[in-house]
Amino acid sequence: MIILNVVWSESSNLTLWAESLLLFEQFLAKREKLKDKAASKTTKKQPEPAEHPFVCSTNSISEILGLFLQIDSKVSISKSTNKGKEVTTLFLPTSDNLPQPSHPLFRDLIPQHKPKDLSPWIVPALELKSTLALEFLLSLPNKAPTGIIFSDSLLFFSELAKFALKLVVQGKILPTLEKRQDSFFARWQPVVNTDAELLEAKQLMELMPLSLCWIIGTPKPTTSITTIFQLALESLVDGLVRQTLAGNKFFTTNKKYSSVHQEWLTALLSEPQIVADKAELNSFYKVVTDWHHSAFKATVGQLRTCFRLSEPPSDDESLEPKQTRKKTTDKSIDKATDKGQWKVEFLLQAMDDKSLLVPAENVWKTKGKVLKFSSREFENPQERLLTDLGKSIRLYPELESALKTARPVSLSLDTSGAYKFLREVMLLLEQSGFGVLVPSWWNRPLLRPGAKLSAQPKKSKGTGTNLLGLDGICEYQWKLAIGEQEISYEDFLKLAKLKVPLVKIRGQWVELKAEEIQAAIAFFEKKHLSGEMSVNEVLRVGLGLESEKIGVPVVGFETSGWLKNLLTENNEQKLNEQKAPKGFVGKLRPYQERGLSWLSFLHQLGMGACLADDMGLGKTVQLLALLMLDYQSLGKKANQQHPPTLLVCPMSVVGNWQREASRFAPSLKVQVHHGAERLTDKEFVEEAQKADIVITTYGLATRDQALLSEITWGRLVLDEAQNIKNPDTKQTKAIRSFAVQSRIALTGTPVENRLSELWSIMEFLNPGLLGSASNFGKQFSTPIERYRDKEKATLLKQLTQPFILRRLKTDKSIIQDLPEKIEMKVFCNLTSEQASLYQAVVDEMMQKIEKSEEKSIERKGMVLATLMKLKQVCNHPVQMLQDGSSVAERSGKLARLEDLIDEILAAGDRVLCFTQFAEMGKMLKIHLQEKFGCEILFLQGSTSKKARDQMVTRFQSSTGPAIFILSLKAGGVGLNLTAAQHVIHFDRWWNPAVEAQATDRAFRIGQTKNVQVRKFVCIGTIEEKIDLLIEQKKELADNIVGTGEGWLTELSNADLHQLVALSKDAVSETVAKTSTTSKKAKPKKASS
Amino acid sequence: MWDDWRNSYSGPRPANGIKAKNQRGAIGETWWSKRFLEVLHSFHMGARLDRGRSYARKGQVLNIDIESGLVTAKVQGSSSRPYKVEIKLKELSKKEWEQVEKALVERAIFLASLLAGEMPKDIEEAFKEVKLSLFPSRVSDLKTACSCPDSSNPCKHIAAVYYILAEQFDEDPFLLFTWRGRTKEELIENLSLLRGVSADSGSKAKVDKAEEQTISSTAMPQVPIPSLSESLSNFWQARASFSELSFQPEKTSVPDAVIRQLEPLNLTIAEKNLQEIFLEIYKNLSNKAYEKAFNK
Repeated sequence: MIILNVVWSESSNLTLWAESLLLFEQFLAKREKLKDKAASKTTKKQPEPAEHPFVCSTNSISEILGLFLQIDSKVSISKSTNKGKEVTTLFLPTSDNLPQPSHPLFRDLIPQHKPKDLSPWIVPALELKSTLALEFLLSLPNKAPTGIIFSDSLLFFSELAKFALKLVVQGKILPTLEKRQDSFFARWQPVVNTDAELLEAKQLMELMPLSLCWIIGTPKPTTSITTIFQLALESLVDGLVRQTLAGNKFFTTNKKYSSVHQEWLTALLSEPQIVADKAELNSFYKVVTDWHHSAFKATVGQLRTCFRLSEPPSDDESLEPKQTRKKTTDKSIDKATDKGQWKVEFLLQAMDDKSLLVPAENVWKTKGKVLKFSSREFENPQERLLTDLGKSIRLYPELESALKTARPVSLSLDTSGAYKFLREVMLLLEQSGFGVLVPSWWNRPLLRPGAKLSAQPKKSKGTGTNLLGLDGICEYQWKLAIGEQEISYEDFLKLAKLKVPLVKIRGQWVELKAEEIQAAIAFFEKKHLSGEMSVNEVLRVGLGLESEKIGVPVVGFETSGWLKNLLTENNEQKLNEQKAPKGFVGKLRPYQERGLSWLSFLHQLGMGACLADDMGLGKTVQLLALLMLDYQSLGKKANQQHPPTLLVCPMSVVGNWQREASRFAPSLKVQVHHGAERLTDKEFVEEAQKADIVITTYGLATRDQALLSEITWGRLVLDEAQNIKNPDTKQTKAIRSFAVQSRIALTGTPVENRLSELWSIMEFLNPGLLGSASNFGKQFSTPIERYRDKEKATLLKQLTQPFILRRLKTDKSIIQDLPEKIEMKVFCNLTSEQASLYQAVVDEMMQKIEKSEEKSIERKGMVLATLMKLKQVCNHPVQMLQDGSSVAERSGKLARLEDLIDEILAAGDRVLCFTQFAEMGKMLKIHLQEKFGCEILFLQGSTSKKARDQMVTRFQSSTGPAIFILSLKAGGVGLNLTAAQHVIHFDRWWNPAVEAQATDRAFRIGQTKNVQVRKFVCIGTIEEKIDLLIEQKKELADNIVGTGEGWLTELSNADLHQLVALSKDAVSETVAKTSTTSKKAKPKKASS
Repeated sequence: MWDDWRNSYSGPRPANGIKAKNQRGAIGETWWSKRFLEVLHSFHMGARLDRGRSYARKGQVLNIDIESGLVTAKVQGSSSRPYKVEIKLKELSKKEWEQVEKALVERAIFLASLLAGEMPKDIEEAFKEVKLSLFPSRVSDLKTACSCPDSSNPCKHIAAVYYILAEQFDEDPFLLFTWRGRTKEELIENLSLLRGVSADSGSKAKVDKAEEQTISSTAMPQVPIPSLSESLSNFWQARASFSELSFQPEKTSVPDAVIRQLEPLNLTIAEKNLQEIFLEIYKNLSNKAYEKAFNK
């Protein structure tokens, strides 16, 4: 875990430094060891500044930096940084001889006194030149990659860079000449002066981490937050302008004679320093300053000039009795004429109280230099107003006509003039720091002419093949409308004839842009005003995503029939409830019935559906019920060939699916297509066509793509659909290539928050709905992820919500359907490595016990040792081998655990994970901590009482770590861990009472949360067999509890063999590691 | 060798004075400096005036001083000592100025433009209304003298000063008033008086002081740093949530607003006005930066 920090340097550059959790832990361990020794000696005071004990080298920092940059930038990292001078001195809060770590993740590891002061530390740091810094800041992903945490200081700078970019896009910059001692520099400065910009600047400053106020190497902070904010903003803006303009030529240079101003302009576009005659530069400096003052000097002071636009006085329209208006449209349109008489009034506005407005009339009446108004006094009001008016003429030449009198108070405008003021002048004036007040309706979206789409289900001809006769085809009509209101073509032409940009109709202002009127006329003369569309198209067109293609804005959208149902929010609640079909063994909870109805509804429309219910709500059950429903309905027409469902899932859940299918839908014929012994060629095709479900893995979907393509699938179901989150991988492409009639994606992660994943899954379910990937990026991902665009987020939700059903276990309507405690078995497969190790252990034991005497102590010991080894293998090969080799991707249980934790973290939940082995717990802690980039608590028997209490308190606190691994024989210590919503038993105690006790730590009477308990069982191993024994014979189980594992040693050789033997379906091939032709990997010799 | 050079070329000695900014084409950027040169041409100075242009461009005019009724300058000619040039213009009398000021105050535009640093467009009209003129109206209004031996009027040196003078007017239109007998401050003060604002300069200094801040800091809200102990207790974390921030750039119809509100810079590069170059830069920049904002 690495925390990436930034700090500002004296030379005005962004500088990166980083703390490493690993180094910190090593440092703490070393310090602990030294403590005893040091106690005897007198502690030497460290020289100042000392080396910071847990920071990364500049090489590691530049490696991290490389993760975020384009390849060509990587080359330039070394060029654009401070290579050679790589350490710097930072003043950091220090106590107990230790610099305070920047992140709570570190701080929680040891108690440290509150720092009272800052001390200098030597820190390796990478100073970035402005181009590189900008590229880095603007390309920073929303979520830090695994193993890295973006500090708030870095996140702050990333926001500041966006603010700078916004200013540059808006042109809020000013070319300046900076004089530093005897040198001159051309610089672009930000101009922050509108109310909105000032507010944004303030927002930023108020959240800026204070660490940024300490510039590198200085013991004292900058004079104010504003100082550092401005320094940084100026530097970023200057860099951005140069970077953006690089390579552009705006003038031909005069080589013969270069004037100072040419040198200045050149320096604004390239290197900032200007070398020219000092005297000339000095006099030019004055020219530039005066030039700036011609506009910007004016904005300082207590007062500014404000322009207030007022609309013509409203006529008697509203007074007209309503009943006399029979043909409302006609009449109001006839009344809509250009009434002119708009006014721009001149006022003075107090800078510190924008509601304080003094009309020009009062200003001109002022005698003396002070204006008294509403108990305030303002200096030189006439001069202020006149100066501002004089400057405004440059922006708004029309003003001149109003200034021909001695005491002007306002400018009169006709409607076109007012429209220009609103559309263009207003912005100019605002950007220049003047106040502008306009009627409030201008700030709401204006009504405008456009097309209104009505869509309804196509009337079915005769009986379709589907249950409800739906086929996803809609009929549509276009109508001309202004706002939501339809308008006749004749009336519209009347409006167009007025040739005014703003018209008041029925008390509301309507914007009539000449080009929009033309577009609307062109659209409605083409007369393709009705036809058929798919649901996809209706949605995209109706929500306005295709307006450019259509040529007119879509101003209204109306639907009916099932289409309306589909598009309403929570559409699953509006459907006819589908009960659990015949042949489905088990009960569906009410929300599961709604889920089933929803899946079936979308299936009939031919639309893909994403069932994204929270984990533990029973997605598997709902899907199996749907398949059963199919089976039943097709059963009625028995002669019809029934195309099978292809279910693609991660390897770690193949066994689970198989087990669940046989339990809930035993009449379905399930074919598992994985493992080295899977069917091939014709044999596969024949079998698959007879099956109801074919289960395979993502890996095989790619590898056996050709084979799987030979079948036309009735339905393609993706479990853990986040596996296709990357649209460009072979795997995703293979899956999209299969010919299927209907698609379903199951996922427990909130897809709506991961946009590229959402796109990829939607592209699988309903191709084209979200547009091309690059368009989607511009239209949705970037605005939403980079800029938090709420409108776009809402639009995207409207577009996708008909096809995503996500219910949370915390939803009120769900909670009442749920038991307080849900217990589940999670069936895991072994990897082939685990399987061969398992086989080897079994073989070794059988060999030995056959030679040993029955009931001997030797045999007993051997059996117990073997059982232990088998448990270890089921957990993880490394646990048994203890060779310290790599942990990732070698255990079915671990793979399953990772998936679950991913979902748990995404839901913001907490989990307790129990294992009976301390070494397994430790392994899990280290591995998961790396993988998920968060702190994981680990409690074992040897943990001191004090540390134990601390962990419990932290886990229970709202900001504490979300994952708690416990390796502890149950009983004894009273731990209260009710913050957890999930309990996972990674391995089994073979003792229900012990498990229940552990579970109860998370589940206490009186707590309101629902708790999900998962017990991991390895398919086809001793784990599953003992689990069955426990399930089938509770009494026997109690006996087992009573006697521990001792009874196993009493079993005969044959019984023992039956119990431990590995059944065929245990193995789950790791695709990457097994080639198609290879036989089972050679068993590794188990170390004893 | 020096002598050889002297013999083969009879031009002026090289000098490093005020170089005309416009090295090619016409001198005079604003309407008022153009008008000034136009008036001079109308006095049939023609070819003699033109001779001064190259002098002005080479920087032969070493200095120039404009005061009420009199312009003085030193010009480097072919002799070793620079020539002294004087151009006198009849200043308006106190009474005449009062008439002008009365006419000016009738329209707010005059004082407004002047305060904004620009010469009002209709200024000549206002002078004409009271039968006066801002610019010299006949050749006899100008009394010139040069210490050079050339007897023609204007000589090259006087002509060069005329051009530099025109450029000075470009930079500061108020110098025209100064030459006519009123400084900017006097004029503004008088106009304000006429508008009914009593003379009381007490508060003026205050306003000016506030105006000395740098551009970007004009109105930036000041946020202080908390005390050391407070800072140290929350040193690393952002003090509010980032989730409320949204800096999504939008396309603007006026990307050049900042440049447009500044008074025109009367400078050119290769005959292209600097202001125009800036307008082009701003438009280009805005589009490119927008693309950058939405690129992956």
